[in-house]
Amino acid sequence: MFKRLICFLLVLSLAFSLSPIPLSAFEPSPEDRALLNKIEKDTFQYFTRFSDKITGLTKDSSRPGSPSSVATTGFALAAYAIGGSHGWIAQDYAYARILTTLQTLRRKAAHQNGVFYHFLDARTGNRVWGSEASSIDTALAVAGALLAARYYPGTEIEKLANEIYERVNWKWLMNGSDFICMGWTPEGKFLPYYWDSYNELMILVALAIGSPTFPVPPGAWERWLRPEGDHNGHKIIYASTGSLFTYQFSHAYIDFRKLDDRGVNFFENSREATLANREYSMSFSGQHKGYSESSWGLSASLGPGGYKAYGGKPGGGLQDGTLAPYAALSSIVFTPEFSIQSARFFYDSYPKELYGNFGFKDAFNLDKQWWANEYLGIDQGITLLMLENYLNGEIVWKKFMELPAIKKWIELTGLKQRSASITTN
Amino acid sequence: MAQNRRKHFFINKPLQIRFMLAVIVPLLLINVIALAGLYFGIWSKVLDTFSNEQTLNDLVTASRMVEYDQARHPVPSQNFSSLSFFMQTEKLSQRQREIFKGILDETNQSLLWKFLLLLFFLAWGTIFISHKIAGPFFRFSKAFNEIEKGDYRARVFLRKLDEGHPVAQEFNEAMEKTDHLLSNLKTLAQEKDAPQAVAKIKEKLSTVQTSANV
Repeated sequence: MFKRLICFLLVLSLAFSLSPIPLSAFEPSPEDRALLNKIEKDTFQYFTRFSDKITGLTKDSSRPGSPSSVATTGFALAAYAIGGSHGWIAQDYAYARILTTLQTLRRKAAHQNGVFYHFLDARTGNRVWGSEASSIDTALAVAGALLAARYYPGTEIEKLANEIYERVNWKWLMNGSDFICMGWTPEGKFLPYYWDSYNELMILVALAIGSPTFPVPPGAWERWLRPEGDHNGHKIIYASTGSLFTYQFSHAYIDFRKLDDRGVNFFENSREATLANREYSMSFSGQHKGYSESSWGLSASLGPGGYKAYGGKPGGGLQDGTLAPYAALSSIVFTPEFSIQSARFFYDSYPKELYGNFGFKDAFNLDKQWWANEYLGIDQGITLLMLENYLNGEIVWKKFMELPAIKKWIELTGLKQRSASITTN
Repeated sequence: MAQNRRKHFFINKPLQIRFMLAVIVPLLLINVIALAGLYFGIWSKVLDTFSNEQTLNDLVTASRMVEYDQARHPVPSQNFSSLSFFMQTEKLSQRQREIFKGILDETNQSLLWKFLLLLFFLAWGTIFISHKIAGPFFRFSKAFNEIEKGDYRARVFLRKLDEGHPVAQEFNEAMEKTDHLLSNLKTLAQEKDAPQAVAKIKEKLSTVQTSANV
């Protein structure tokens, strides 16, 4: 009897240590949850509205004349799968949209060794604006495709997604160096920039190492620089711009909560980065009307002077009074209470100026009374995926972490599974 | 004061009209050229760029492409430029500012050449017009100097396009009469019959008005 009890307790403790770690003890009110659901659903509409009906390629921005972006198209694939699962669009329709898009990516979209060009003509799939065959944008497209495949296993979607992934020659992208190159153009060949320091690169490197066809060596994970910095007591491995999106993009797909990278947990790192980013903007609240405890979010976004890599410290710390609501909201898995507080504030304070048919517009600047009149696809994508993880049982993480490529990446890089509970706020 | 008030706007109508034309025509010409330069130099470029929606979209997209790159690989911000004079550029993107700066610099350069050309024509026109006035003044001055020295044969001969032909004609007529009077007086002064000569001189001078009418 005693032995049975011991066995039962051992099994229970093992099951507990491997079960999903709760995001946070914080529980949003029913009103806040309703608002978040509305934002997620509205944000999702961007992808149905701004994707080409024939090719499925999705526009980079809601602005007229915008080309399609392969990263946004990747987010669209994820969005259709999520939208179908919620019943926001019919399952048949979601399946058809994903299939069409994958067929375009597989057969029509311009690429070099499987690496898609950053910007494509939505109608033809041809390369436009002299854009580069982009490693990170391809990774985001592949991630979206693989996630969609997890929603429709054993179908043509899974087959095409795998083909697209397997076609990418990640090894070629290293150009004989220790790092993955940012891009390649037919005119200038490899760009002189490499993913050699912490930022949104983790999803790229993970997929490159996990590739079944052209994997890069596991050393590519260890070699990139992890610069350490501090702001207000928040010790962080930071990105050079300090933009919040760099701490979010990889986390849209990969659940870093249980992954220990030589003593560093990148989920905790992103939470600290979010808190530092918020406090950095708050320190300028006397200079900029828009900055406050509830109004924060310094990340690459549109601004009165064009698209800029706004960010906090440690890092570039570029700020001019411009805030991106998507940035605060997309940190919801790291800092739910603060993120929901800011979403509520933005929604209640500037309903006409900042909120539209597709959720929050990209950015605003109260000092200059400037309001972005458009939505950016990748910012819509990160918002949608982070909300989906937060609101719906971490479903994106669960599905993505089951991919053989991700398991291979974890295994080859020696990332340790940890069981310590992570709390936020 | 009332006596000094001008009663007639046109004292010498042909002369004044000619001067009015001489001033108005070049000014009008300058204005027309300057306005045309401004219109075609600046607005045609701006309108060409922005009147077409497709072009505008392309411009914004091109700007965005560059901004995306710059956000990934930040470049140092620009210093003072011709755009610094325009507050409106604050809300333009870096790439848009570069494009506008290009248009503005090109327009400025084109306007500079037009301005220099205009300055040349203006200088040439000013010299030409002033010469038509300064020339007669010089000739009158020279004639007065000769008269002062006692040479009453002095006459003023103006160029065909010079101003002051009527005045010169009247001056020459007056000098002709004076010269004739003095010549007669000199001839009479040489007559041997002095009393008769004096009587003739007095008769000649009786119509002459001077400060000393004795």
